[in-house]
This record gives sequence, structure tokens and C-alpha cells, in this order.
Amino acid sequence: MNRTLRLGAAASLLAVVAGTATPAFAAGTTAGSTITNNVTVNFQVGGVSQNSVSASNSFTVDRKVNLVVAEDGSTTTQVSPGQTAAVTSFMVTNSSNAPIDVALAATNRSGGTAEHGGTDNFDVSGIALYQDTNNNGAYNAGVDTLITYLDQVAADASIRVFVVANVPLGRSTGDVAGVRLAGTASEATAAGSLGATITETAGANTAGVDTVFADTNVGGNTARDGIHFDEDDYTILAANLTATKTSRIISDPLNGTTNPKMIPGAVVEYCITVSNAAGSASAANVAFSDTLPGATTYDSSFGVKVNGTVTSGTCNADGAIAGSHASGVVSGTIPSLAAGDNRTMLFRVTIN
Amino acid sequence: MRFLAFLLAFLLPLPALAQNQVALTSEIFVERTTTDAGGRQSVSLEAPGVVTPGDPLVFVLHYRNNAVSLAMDFVVTNPIPESVSYVNAESAGSVLSVDGGRTWGELSSLRVANADGTSRPAAAADVTHIRWRIAQAIPAGGQGELRFRGVVK
Repeated sequence: MNRTLRLGAAASLLAVVAGTATPAFAAGTTAGSTITNNVTVNFQVGGVSQNSVSASNSFTVDRKVNLVVAEDGSTTTQVSPGQTAAVTSFMVTNSSNAPIDVALAATNRSGGTAEHGGTDNFDVSGIALYQDTNNNGAYNAGVDTLITYLDQVAADASIRVFVVANVPLGRSTGDVAGVRLAGTASEATAAGSLGATITETAGANTAGVDTVFADTNVGGNTARDGIHFDEDDYTILAANLTATKTSRIISDPLNGTTNPKMIPGAVVEYCITVSNAAGSASAANVAFSDTLPGATTYDSSFGVKVNGTVTSGTCNADGAIAGSHASGVVSGTIPSLAAGDNRTMLFRVTIN
Repeated sequence: MRFLAFLLAFLLPLPALAQNQVALTSEIFVERTTTDAGGRQSVSLEAPGVVTPGDPLVFVLHYRNNAVSLAMDFVVTNPIPESVSYVNAESAGSVLSVDGGRTWGELSSLRVANADGTSRPAAAADVTHIRWRIAQAIPAGGQGELRFRGVVK
């Protein structure tokens, strides 16, 4: 702080500062700037206007370091088991009145209730951080920059950071992995390198620019430690498939299609139904394969019908001929199977 | 008061200047609210040591008529510093300006022009100047203090 005093200055001091707009900046007056108050008295003695008298004093605005890490959005990130490069995003905001670097660290949550309510019960792997370089709100591999810190974040600037990680296989719908992104306020000493961790000015006020931490204790943070974090989570949405196999006799060589019996030469139709439980992820490219029972012969005139439907538990005679048969194994693929839906593969054999 | 004393000490070697002279000082304090173990809050005014955006400020203006005669038509004008947002006046009788000192009035009577040509009622944050006009003549040796509040932008 410094203090100045001026006396007997000219009346022209009166005409100062026109139209001070109020900037709507959260970070506020830049650290190190000086606030000077000027006051002027005009008066008369004996009916005669005297020279005006002015005084001023000033002080230096110190550095208020306030770093905010907050989840970008308010929902969990839905992922599939085995998904690679699953993305959650955070906003890192420098609410300080000076530029800072921000050291970043992302960690897996270890148990407990995750950000969006589920119980953390697995970890993601290969966590990497990317800056939303093109600022489009979406992670773009090859465009967004791999980072370990944010360089030279201007006062009031917000930067989106993506946490990109891999999801292990074998997890079930509803499993949750919490992740935490923590930022540490660091000196913006030089562009291109992470500065030293900022420390608060200890002890009494100094004449220069002092540093005061102003980060809050929101969401389990420690107030005023220069470190701020937030959490987000990944929630598994897996497909939940079940398969059933039914058969019915179509005809035999003696009775035809009227009350056919399982005698040699009879034609039997197999229906394999795959169901995806309600509330699950939609499954794509569901592949069937079935080994023909012994003492049967594949009916190539019928073919393998795939993607048929089921009504009240009974397979309909629909679907497209799209499957194949080779060496006693029938196979086919259903392109997509929505949650709560079921589809079939139909084929026929003749009893030897 | 210690700065007033400082000011007087400064003036003493300059008797010629002190003739017909009014002494004026401006002091700025930071209002600190502290909460004790019992949860009671106390407010104190401190010299502006560590000051960061959002800190409440109290501006204290002292004046004293050092002359031998009456000072009349006494007008104290204080532009609000650029990095300070005006909050309110503690001392009664002030008028405000939101246009750089061209027009003056009670805050409720002032309006601010919008970019589209319309205007809106002025808010405390729009204030650019504060002024007191002291109606009574100030006798020789008479002194007083005026206060207003602001906050560091």
C-alpha cells in the first residue's frame, strides 16, 4: 500500500473520470493495479471562490487466487463395457484477478457414493486429459490437445478439460466409476511451462502484491488451499441378452402337415430367440451360431431366416434369409437389438 | 485522525499556504467481518493491507477550515475510483452523479441511458461521483468527516 497526499492543487482536478462503466467481471480488478481516491473541496471565503483543495490516497489491489473446477453438465457419462476413450468433461475457471497456470490431476474414485448417486464399484483405466482446443464442447481425437496442465489461463477464462479413459469389460448395467479432476493454482511465470505452485503470502501485508487464496469448500473441497476439484462418473449401460431355443415339427413323410410325427424324414423347425432386457443398452451385430443336433440334416431349401419376430412367445414365420450353414453349424447376425426387443433366427432340419 | 495530524504537520512549515486554507484528507479502510468462536460477528475497519476484489471499502474524508474566516458554499466532490463500485453514503446530504459529474441528484431520480436509446433507473454501481454541499458556513477551526462505502471491483 502507498499513500499520497496532495494539497493546493488547481481546480482542474475536479474534472475527472467520466463514464466509468461497471465491468461485469467476476475476477475483478487486476492484481497489482492501484486504486486511487481523489477528493476535492470547493468553497468561498468572504463571498469569493477560493482555489479548490484536493487530497488523494491509494492502495494496491492484491492477488486473489480463486480456481474453480466444475463438472461440465449434470449427468453421468453412459458407457459400454470395454468402451475405449470414454469421455467426461470439466470446466476449469480462473476466477482470480490475475492469470495462472493450473496443474491438473485426474484420479479414480475409491468406493463411496459417486457424483451422480450410484456407488462407485470399478475403476476406469488409462486416464488422459485433453484440452478442448477447438472449444466445441466435444472431445475430438487428434484435434484436442493432450495436457497435464493448463497454461496461462487468463483472469475469468474458462477452459474445458476432457477426462478420457477406458472402461473394463465384464461390467453390468448400473456399475459406476467415479473420477475426480483436481486443479492446483500455479504461477503463470512463462508460457509453455507449468509454473511453481502458488503459495499464499504469509504474515502481514506487504507493500507489493500479496496473494490470497479464495477458492471455496463447495463439494468437499478445502477452502482457501489453492486446490479445487470436482467429480463426475461413468455409468455402465450394458446389453442384457438371453437366448432361448424352441422347436416344432412341420411335417412328416406320411402325415404331411396334418399332425406330423417325429419320424425319420420329418421336418423340424428350430427357432432361436435372443431377447435384450428392458432398460439395457441397444445391442448391435448380435451373432448367432448353433450346431445342428446329430441325426439331422440341414434343410437348405428353407435356408436360415434372421431378424424375425416373436408374438406372445411364438416365433413368427418371418425374417429374411440372411444366415448361413457350414459344416453342421448354422449362423446368422441380427444387425441391431433394442432394449426390450427380441429377434429370431429360424432354420429347419430333416430327421435322418 | 492520525492522517489529519500528519496533514497539519505538513502544513505548519507553510503558513502562507495555510492562509484561507481548507485541509482535506482522504482515507480508505477495508471493512473486515470476523466471526469469533461463539459465532458472533464483529466488523472492524482496517487500513487497506491485503485487498482483493469484492472487499468492502469505507472512504473517510476529513475536512478542516484552517483559515481565520468563515468558509462558505463548501462543496466536497469525490469521483468514485474506476476500480471501485459505489455502494452507499454513510454521511447524510449527499448527491450523486451517474454521468461523470454532469448531472446530480438522489440515486432514485437518476437514469442511465441504454445502448438502444432507452434508459433505465440508475443503480448504485452506476454512480461515478458523490458530492456533499455543506449548507452551514464552517467557522475557523471547524471540521467534519464524510463517509461513503464502495466495494473493490
